Order: sequence, then structure tokens, then C-alpha cells
Amino acid sequence: MNLFLNQISAIVWKDFVTELKTRELFSAMFVFALLVILIFIFSVNLSVVKASEVGPGILWVAFLFSGTIGLNRSFMLEKENGCLMGLMLVPADRTAIYFGKLISNFVFLSIMELFILPLFMIFFNIDLLGHLLPLLLVIFLGTLGFCALGTLLSSLASNLKTREIMLPILLYPLLVPIVIGVVRMTGQILTGEPLSEMMNWIGLTASFDIIYIGVSIMTIDHILEE
Amino acid sequence: MVDNHNPSDSAIEVRGLRKEFGVLKAVDGISFDLKRGEFLSVFGPNGAGKTTLIKILAGLTRPSSGTARVAGYEVEEGQSEMRREIGVISHSTALYADLTPMENLIFFGKMYGLERPQESALSVLEDVGLAPRRNDRVRTFSRGMVQRLSIARAILHDPSILFLDEPFTGLDIHASNVLKEHLQSLHNKKRTILMTTHDVSCGLEMCDKVALQVMGRFAFFKDVKEFSKESFETMYFDAVRDNQFTMGIRNR
Repeated sequence: MNLFLNQISAIVWKDFVTELKTRELFSAMFVFALLVILIFIFSVNLSVVKASEVGPGILWVAFLFSGTIGLNRSFMLEKENGCLMGLMLVPADRTAIYFGKLISNFVFLSIMELFILPLFMIFFNIDLLGHLLPLLLVIFLGTLGFCALGTLLSSLASNLKTREIMLPILLYPLLVPIVIGVVRMTGQILTGEPLSEMMNWIGLTASFDIIYIGVSIMTIDHILEE
Repeated sequence: MVDNHNPSDSAIEVRGLRKEFGVLKAVDGISFDLKRGEFLSVFGPNGAGKTTLIKILAGLTRPSSGTARVAGYEVEEGQSEMRREIGVISHSTALYADLTPMENLIFFGKMYGLERPQESALSVLEDVGLAPRRNDRVRTFSRGMVQRLSIARAILHDPSILFLDEPFTGLDIHASNVLKEHLQSLHNKKRTILMTTHDVSCGLEMCDKVALQVMGRFAFFKDVKEFSKESFETMYFDAVRDNQFTMGIRNR
């Protein structure tokens, strides 16, 4: 068990050191998310529609699309110079590799989201400070599900020539239950509804998070094999 | 847990190994034994299945049929234990270009569960002569230096068996000589080595056993003392020509 946890932490450490040196992942995700929000702010007339009605969709489009860039890059890093083969040669459980990459992806995306959130508040003139804790819970659940499924599918797509195209094609349809859940919950939070009113959606999203992680544990061994 | 470890004199035992990709037989019924401490050079034209053979023995791909034992472990069942006993150097370096040699080796040391990854990393970097460049990014290294760092990565956990897949590819004469010296010293430390190569001089000079793989099969597997370099070249071209002729008749 100790070796398993050490291997997970080694992968996370390696991804962080690489990112600190290159800053490729964060800057690409952040710039993309910012552009999405800027484009929408100029295309939506906020004097006609309420920010709390269009805001949740825009926010999650920015998070998920920029997160896809991050997922693509994440496994590309392992494919360069055959590093994934190097990982396959170590006496590590394949699930340790999956969890290492999942945690890295989750932390990188969460950091980007924490930078985007204040900008979203300013641009859409929404006061989120009063609803910050429920909103962070929803973002946590949505990001976890996205990264759990995304890490699995990006490892699958990394072996394909058309990986940049295949990842979103595979990912987005399977992600629909979570996307519907988090967009609905974010909307309810922005209109001031209490968390107790959205327990069904929280249950649904959390259930899919668990399903995605469970399916990944069961299949990652076969997916990473040549 | 079933203990499938069967220690014996043989470091590698292969019986009737086959790997098929559709109609293509990349490995076609190969059998051989390699004793501990022996050095086997596998020659063969491009597409003969040499890399596939190494991938099977390293547990990177499953054989279609046949069995292989490496360091006493069945390659399919004893994966985790077997991986501690082997080091692999292939066409790809398996190194992170944006990390330094130290960072790369510390990472792999942690993945192998070494107790002191930092000390082990420094020790192997000194062995391959890269200690002075330990804090530079791998991206800035020449092909020869990267190949030496690949060796450091492969021997970091002190494996008893090394698989080398065309390690001289892309190296200049100086880098080839340096690599040859490193491989020779690894062989002198009683490591079992299986190397695929196109470099006849290097391959014959360093090895104890020689195999020629053509179209997935071993055309021969002999002791290196049994022939000269010239007679080997004659045998090589005869075997390749015979196989191409046979395939030509089959394809008609």
C-alpha cells in the first residue's frame, strides 16, 4: 500500500515539476477559458437576459473545454519519448498511474478554475461570495467527474493518431449526466437556492463520479496495455 | 498469492513463442535459453520481429502463444516481480525532456520503490559520466548523452537482465564507443544482456551468443566462437535471401 501511494505521489510530483518549468498546461487552459468568457460577455446582452440564467452554462463551457486541452496535453507528455513505456516497465499497479494522472489533472484544472471564478464574477457582475461554499462543492463534484472520465479516455485516445479529435468525441456524450447536474446546480446557487434543494442533483453527480472512477479502475489495465 | 518464481541457471527461457498481428507473424515459434551472465546479440533485417520479441520478454505485449520465463518468472503472470529484475533500453528514451537527469531518475527511483532514490540516481549518473550535467534539462542533451541517460534509467534499480533494442541507432562513432564501453562494463558485472542491433562489429565483439532473426524466426542461434565476422556475414545474407525466396514462392 505504501509503494502504491508513493507511486501516485511520484507521478503527481513529476507532473508538477514539469508544469512549474514549462507552464504550458496552465497558460493554455487559462487563456482558453478566459477567451470563452470574453466572447460570451460580448455576445450576450445582460440587460435583456439574467446573468444567473446564462452564466452557469458559460462558466461550465469554459471549464470543460479548457479542461479538455489540459487532458490532451497530460497524456501527450507521457507519450513523448516513450515515457509511457517507461512507466509500463516499472513494478507499478496500472491504477497507481491512473490515480497519479487523475490527481494531477484535477489539481491543475481546479487551480485554473479558482483563477477564472473571480473574473467570471467581475465580467458578469454576479456576487458569488455569499454562495461560495455550495458553489465550490458543485465545482469539486463536476471537476472530479470530468477528470475521472477524462483521464481514462485521454489514456485511451493517446494511442490514436486522431487523439485531439477523438477525446472530445468520446468524452462529451458520456459526460452529459454530470454536465446537466452541475449546470442546473450552479444556476440554482446563483438564484440563491439552498443546497438542501438540490440534493438529488448532488446525489446524481456524485454517483457518476464514483461510476467513472470505478469503471476506470476496472479497465485501465487493458487500456494501457499495447 | 501463487508464487510462480522458479529460479534456475537460465535467465531467459523461451519456448515456441509466437506473436501475430492479423496475418503478420512478427514472432514465429522462437525457442532459446540464455544463461545468467550471458550476452546475446540478435541480428536481423528491419521488420524481422526483433523489437516485438523484446516487448514480449519485457512484458510490454502479450504473446499469441508459447511461453517465456525471465529471471525465473513467467512473463505474463509474474509481471510485477519480473519488472524489478529487468531494465529496458529501446528506440525511445522514456525520459521526460523538460526534467533534469536527477529529476528523471529520482522519479523512476520512486516508482521502483527504491529506499534512497536521490543517492541511487547520483550513483548511476556517475557511472555513465553524466553527474556534471545532472541539473541541466534533458532537452538540451545530445543523442549520445540521452542514450547514456537511458542506460542510467535502465540500471537504476540494479536489474539482473537488460534488454537493449538497437541502442547504437543514431549515435556517432565517439558516442557508439562510449556506449560500447558502458555495455561491456555492465556485462562484466555479470548482467544478462539481450541486445538487438544492426551493428555487426559491435554486436559480435561484445556477445557470447548470436542469433539471427528473419521473418519472425531464429534462422540460427549459436555461440559467437563458432564463426568469424566474415562467415557470419555470409550466413546472414544467405539466411535473409533464403527466407525472402521462400516467402516469394509462398506468395505466388
